[in-house]
Amino acid sequence: MINNLLPNRFLGFVLGLFLVLTSVPAVAQKFTVSGTIKDKKTGEVLIGGTIAVADSPALGAVSNEYGFYSLTIPKGHYRLIFRYISYKDQPQEVDLSKNVKLDIFAEPAERELSEVVVSSKANHVKSAQMGMTELKIQDIKALPVLFGERDVMKIVQLLPGIKSVGDGGSGFYVRGGAADQNLILLDEAVVYNPSHLLGFFSTFNSDALKDITLYKGTAPARYGGRLSSVMDVKMNDGNDQSYHVSGGIGLISSKLNVEGPIKKDEGSFLISARRTYADVFLKLSNDTSINKSKLYFYDLNTKLNYKLSKKDRLFLSGYFGKDELGLGTTFGINWGNATGTLRWNHLISDRLFSNTSLILSDYSYNINVNNSGISANIHSEIRDWNLKEEIDFFSNPKNSIKFGLSSIYHTITPGNITGTGITSNTQPDKLTWENAIYLSNSWKSKTRLNIDYGIRLSSFSVLGGSNLYDLDAAGQVKDTLKYTSGQIVQTYVIPEPRISASYLLNESSSIKGGYSRNSQYLHLISNSTASNPTDKWVGSNNIIKPEIADQLSLGYFKSLKNNHYELIAETYYKNMQNQVDYRDGANVFTNDAIEPKLLFGQGRAYGLELQFSKTSGKFTGWISYTLARTEIQISGINNSKWYPAKQDRTHDLSVVGIYQVSKKWTLSGTFVYYTGNAVSFPSGKYNVANQTLFLYTERNGYRMPAYHRFDIGATKQLAHKKHFTSEISFSVYNAYGRENPYFITFQDDPNNPNKTQALQTSLFRFVPSVSYNFKF
Amino acid sequence: MKSLHIISFIVALVYFSSCQKVITVDLNSTDPRYVIEANVVDGQPSNFVHITRTVNFDQDNVFPTVSGALVIITDKTTSLADTLKETVAGLYSTSKIVGISGHNYTLYVKADNHVFTSSAIMPEKIEIDTMYTSISGFRGEINIIPEYNDPAEKGNYYQFAKYVNGVETADIYIRNDNLINGQTIRQPLNARGPDSKLNPGDVVRIDLNCIDSATYQYFFTLQQTKNQNSASPANPATNITGGALGYFSVHTMDSKIIVLPK
Repeated sequence: MINNLLPNRFLGFVLGLFLVLTSVPAVAQKFTVSGTIKDKKTGEVLIGGTIAVADSPALGAVSNEYGFYSLTIPKGHYRLIFRYISYKDQPQEVDLSKNVKLDIFAEPAERELSEVVVSSKANHVKSAQMGMTELKIQDIKALPVLFGERDVMKIVQLLPGIKSVGDGGSGFYVRGGAADQNLILLDEAVVYNPSHLLGFFSTFNSDALKDITLYKGTAPARYGGRLSSVMDVKMNDGNDQSYHVSGGIGLISSKLNVEGPIKKDEGSFLISARRTYADVFLKLSNDTSINKSKLYFYDLNTKLNYKLSKKDRLFLSGYFGKDELGLGTTFGINWGNATGTLRWNHLISDRLFSNTSLILSDYSYNINVNNSGISANIHSEIRDWNLKEEIDFFSNPKNSIKFGLSSIYHTITPGNITGTGITSNTQPDKLTWENAIYLSNSWKSKTRLNIDYGIRLSSFSVLGGSNLYDLDAAGQVKDTLKYTSGQIVQTYVIPEPRISASYLLNESSSIKGGYSRNSQYLHLISNSTASNPTDKWVGSNNIIKPEIADQLSLGYFKSLKNNHYELIAETYYKNMQNQVDYRDGANVFTNDAIEPKLLFGQGRAYGLELQFSKTSGKFTGWISYTLARTEIQISGINNSKWYPAKQDRTHDLSVVGIYQVSKKWTLSGTFVYYTGNAVSFPSGKYNVANQTLFLYTERNGYRMPAYHRFDIGATKQLAHKKHFTSEISFSVYNAYGRENPYFITFQDDPNNPNKTQALQTSLFRFVPSVSYNFKF
Repeated sequence: MKSLHIISFIVALVYFSSCQKVITVDLNSTDPRYVIEANVVDGQPSNFVHITRTVNFDQDNVFPTVSGALVIITDKTTSLADTLKETVAGLYSTSKIVGISGHNYTLYVKADNHVFTSSAIMPEKIEIDTMYTSISGFRGEINIIPEYNDPAEKGNYYQFAKYVNGVETADIYIRNDNLINGQTIRQPLNARGPDSKLNPGDVVRIDLNCIDSATYQYFFTLQQTKNQNSASPANPATNITGGALGYFSVHTMDSKIIVLPK
């Protein structure tokens, strides 16, 4: 009850604040300067660039996701300064005696290769935003990578509070959340399974990307639907000045990019494709079961944008990716994501920016089995249609307000089995409807206080047409409930308030605090130790309740030595309701009712994150450390006592360093160390039918051995001319060859049948790669 | 930045170097638990119940037998009860209780003041009509096809035992008729473990056991436990109450032998 009352009171408080803060009395006559910020050379819009009055930096505005800014200030003559990291500061004289349209064409600063690794477009110290990191693709080029694939999902795992699921997995855990509690967006579309090749690579082809913003704390109210974090990935728009082709050929994958103007300054396109051919390696094997296999993935990113008028711009972006895995003709599985986003930017006025999006997200897998006259196909899919509307209201220099709504229609095909020689088993699609409205404001005072606050009101309706179940006390199906198609069976409504504030202690340090509530209506059912393409998304229903998390965080931010160094310390406490775990031995692969296989309970996560970065100079990099605990309590598991979640990690350390040795050579290194995951190992053994079986006594009662790894990279610039540059990069992944456990199994000792032993399987040791890149 | 014409050529010295090694894991010790393997099989002269205990992981594979237990199997359909005799330490047998399809059997075990019970109904008997070999198109291995007719009514569960030259293999072969109800079944038993691989000249015996749904569930979860790839590994689901591991399987059995040509 208390949990439900709190948000309602909070809602009233927030609405009150809006009224107070946004009703600025009209004393002086005011005008608006507005426009779009673009890169001069490529026409790519710049997100998060600042425009401020030179003598009074508090009077400023920040460009939104589409590069649009708007600043309303009293009539007068101003000298404005445009600032954006790794671009030249650009002063601009403006005579504000009427509303002015001012597009800014930013010039990239001449800078040394890889001088800045993690750039903060917003000032970490001043902004009220907590637990946020932004990465620009340009800036992460110098880091050593596995197989030469610059995988952004691997790179974010080097940041504090973000933990890798381990070798051979592209998922990550944020502040104790499970891997399915991250909202992963590509141009606003949800990517349901962001991994390729069973998790060795992510779906993100860095050649097509512009930037990545990761929120691990209080995310703005415009995001919702996941408990732990938001990873917002944006694709490049494409060069609207001239045509360019780029590509890459490698042993693991090849890439090709084409971009150019549809009409100069008016619109552009981008097409980027990638395909791996790891299966070529399989052909080299002597084992017939390996060399008849196929294993590859491909993906395609496209984006078009066109300016319809001075006030209207259309964007169309799409992603399509597929993995194929097959064993001869007897078994095959393919899976992939498809997303599409159609966006319409419309300038309602100089201060009101509207974006309407129609978004499709789709993930499906197909399994084919062909054996002795029986051929079967299993098909499962999740498809979303999402209509979103968002308005940015650049009220005044103190307030920037966003509000909007989103409506998602989810269709989940649970796993239909068809074929010849078998009885088909198809079940009706599970239909649900998720809606949200939100309102948020970023308020800057003239003094030391900045506050971001907002509320998101989300709802989730279970629609009839598919079977729902009534369970008995033991969790078994007691009754099947049938509702007619289109009927609303049940609706959950959850208010999700959030507030974060920063208080400047002095020019170089601040303290921040925040609270947020998030809810999650879709849950990933995955009960295997490795990432699996057949992991299933299920919606909340009468039995599976929406997950809710309340997070409190506190932080201290300090910049040192004229912003050359930065120190961030954040702590958090998170309480999670309706967490899901599996009954002992649950088989989640069949398409029987999933509900009897699940158990529900609560979770808690708390921790301390420290990051110390050096952001400029010949040597740059950071050290990040997280001390954390994540626990779950579920009645029916471990005698209903609190137990560590799989992703509980006590210590997690990353050290990243990049050193510019000379004009030609850059060296880089990363070191990671973390406590092993919590796992269930056997505590005894017994014998049935002359076979040794292992006895399990508790869930997650053991730890995997600690993981650590050092990667090293070196890049040499070979040619650096106006129309031609080239460089060669070397890297070694896991340079000292640590055998990190991928999994541990138990078996009879082959040399002594009287004994049993533990066997550890490791994946990558010393993986060197060399790549040669050139641009012209 | 003038031009973004990139052709990157990656010369990679890449290898997937997966490797295995034996490690020492400090595993807790645990109180011993009872393990009961109880079978009532049709057409057998005797039926057996085997009772042992669990040991700690680091101990030798010597599993203590449980002697002096009171073991009673009752045929509820005929109201015939028999107290089993301990013929070898931990092995209890009866020749009075015989397996008959449709009969309901109960198991009662009392060992050191711990009571374990179970009950099950023997399913309808289905026989192997014919048995032959096939060559797997994928690996070129020899597989056995025991052909049988699944009855029209749904709800049949099967378990196969495979003996190669008289030695039972570790494979778990279980089937239900969810997707293949009422058909003639010609699904091969694929060789899995190294002990299961067939060579010309081998003598192969296949038992087709018709089991009930609880025993199917036991074998299904046993398979999961053995695979060791679940994020929430657990002991196989037993149909015995009272905290024992193991199973009470009341099943029919039909055997066929095939000699592979040299």
